[in-house]
Amino acid sequence: MDNIIREKIKKVKKGDQSAFEDIVVLFQSKIYQHCYRMLGNAHEAEDVAQEAFIRAYVNIHSYDDSRKFSTWLYRIATNLSIDRLRKRKPDYFLDAEIKGTDGLDMYSQLATDARLPEEEVQGMELEKMIYQEIANLPPIYRSIITLRYLEEFSLKEISEIMDLPLGTVKTRIHRGREALRKKLRYV
Amino acid sequence: MDCKHEAIHLMHIYLDGDISKEDEKKLSQHLEQCPDCQKHFHELKRTITLIKSAAEPKEAPEGFTDRVMQNLPTEKKRVKYMR
Repeated sequence: MDNIIREKIKKVKKGDQSAFEDIVVLFQSKIYQHCYRMLGNAHEAEDVAQEAFIRAYVNIHSYDDSRKFSTWLYRIATNLSIDRLRKRKPDYFLDAEIKGTDGLDMYSQLATDARLPEEEVQGMELEKMIYQEIANLPPIYRSIITLRYLEEFSLKEISEIMDLPLGTVKTRIHRGREALRKKLRYV
Repeated sequence: MDCKHEAIHLMHIYLDGDISKEDEKKLSQHLEQCPDCQKHFHELKRTITLIKSAAEPKEAPEGFTDRVMQNLPTEKKRVKYMR
């Protein structure tokens, strides 16, 4: 499989559009699904997934063949999804570190039990509720939890996709798990 | 063992599959005598199960590849030729 992709990419770099079409067919569902999980609706997922493939094509010469193509493609799709989320609602400041707190950010300072979870649980489908809680996480946490538990990437792969040090990925996954635990313990 | 810092930290290391034999033993010994941590650990594992259960597969919509191909920029060679 990796060899087939490598050959296709070589052709794309030489300007062969039909080789790129094969690449899109191979990855369309995975990338669309990832965007859908990041954005939570079909319209934006299609829009961002389309843009991800177009960017991949336009920037194909900056792709380094010694690395995994799928990781590179996921990186483009993840970054575009995060950009879209940040434009949608200004919650990204949660991810910003507070000065002088040694890595603590606003997110870890949130009062997690501020509302009555039992009330929200009622009348909501379980799956919808789980998605909603993942969606309430700041974009970086959302992408890491999605990549880890919905798409089952390893921590190392996530660090490559997100271009973050492994230690940072781990810290964020720990915080993300704790945040979701607090939200989902009443389910 | 300090629950808030050490035990919970070890739980996460365990969940990442990074825990050493020694630390795993420490954690399980602590869990045996600490109901609060037992509950915390159970909630964490259950959270992961819940998240995974929401992973419903999604297929790309019909015509997705065609739309990508239609929107690709025109090849450079052709642009040059047309000029």
